[in-house]
Amino acid sequence: MTVALADTPRLETERLILRAPGARDTETACAFLTSERARYLGGPYSPEQAWRVFGQAVGHWVLRGYGQFVLEDKASGALIGSVGPWYPHGWAERELGWSLWHASAEGKGYAREAAERLRRHAYDDLGWTTAVSYIDAANAPSRALAERLGCVIDAQAALPVGEGWDDDPAEVLVYRHPAPEAVAA
Amino acid sequence: MTPIPTLTTPRLTLRAPEARDVPPFTAFYASDRARFVGGPLDAEGAWRMLAMEIGHWQIRGYGRWMVEERESGATAGMVGLFCPEGWPEPEIGWDLFEGFEGRGYATEAGRAAREYAYDVLGWDTAVSLVKPANTASAAVCRRLGATLDGTFAHQRHGEMQVWRHPAPEEVSDGGMEAYA
Repeated sequence: MTVALADTPRLETERLILRAPGARDTETACAFLTSERARYLGGPYSPEQAWRVFGQAVGHWVLRGYGQFVLEDKASGALIGSVGPWYPHGWAERELGWSLWHASAEGKGYAREAAERLRRHAYDDLGWTTAVSYIDAANAPSRALAERLGCVIDAQAALPVGEGWDDDPAEVLVYRHPAPEAVAA
Repeated sequence: MTPIPTLTTPRLTLRAPEARDVPPFTAFYASDRARFVGGPLDAEGAWRMLAMEIGHWQIRGYGRWMVEERESGATAGMVGLFCPEGWPEPEIGWDLFEGFEGRGYATEAGRAAREYAYDVLGWDTAVSLVKPANTASAAVCRRLGATLDGTFAHQRHGEMQVWRHPAPEEVSDGGMEAYA
């Protein structure tokens, strides 16, 4: 018997498919969450915690009506990362997040391609009027992407509370995305 | 795509967890009642726990239901089938919220969950994991005919008793049709 998220959007870019996560993605997602690459998302997690973190990402869709997408490389079918609107309880604002799951996916513009599509989804389909990305000050590649996406640090913005940031909230930078009309222009 | 099924017992409805369950679930996890099941948790942790319970359904194809009192519509707890990574085998678990204990609801809902596991999912065995000090939960195990079958040490939750339920052919309290 299969229980699966219903009626979730499927987005596309030139090279990627963005779709809701499901059971078949568990192993790949958990391999990422247990790896050193998850260090800016509260990880690396133990295997049993990683499973629960992935479960949270799936359940977020039901609790909020939107959630993270996994990124499928159209050419190979491989899962290379995830992007998503993210708004767990305790987050000061609705966030746009991204992660690439393998070093081999870096440096090809995949994260930017997916994040731009994601932001259009948040503004056009979900009706957001603003968005932030919470980024660890030490996460240079993510900060560089935020800047390429036109984000600026919003020093006045409230900080998120919850898993991933509690260890050292002073290290969180709040990047504010350009408003919908600025992106559309 | 198959939605999460709804089960009905004489006094209870077992239904899919959803956003409106955040307040009672958060209150339960803030309380001392959650001390045997990974709590107490702050509101952020409880929200993520509920999200995980919902994600569990998608990943495993089964999970835990919210338990509603049919007469009042009140949410009385969460009961069902649970097997996150790191669990020794699939279990039947129950949490009753404040004010709903002492009425046999855990037994009634646990029995319905077990029948679903055996009759619909085809499980050939089932356990319940109970923290050693959780005597109320152990009593539910006994009422369901389960017997102590060793212990399991979880990485974070520590030692838990493993209660083994009667096998499908030993369960004599009727199949799903008893609750139709």
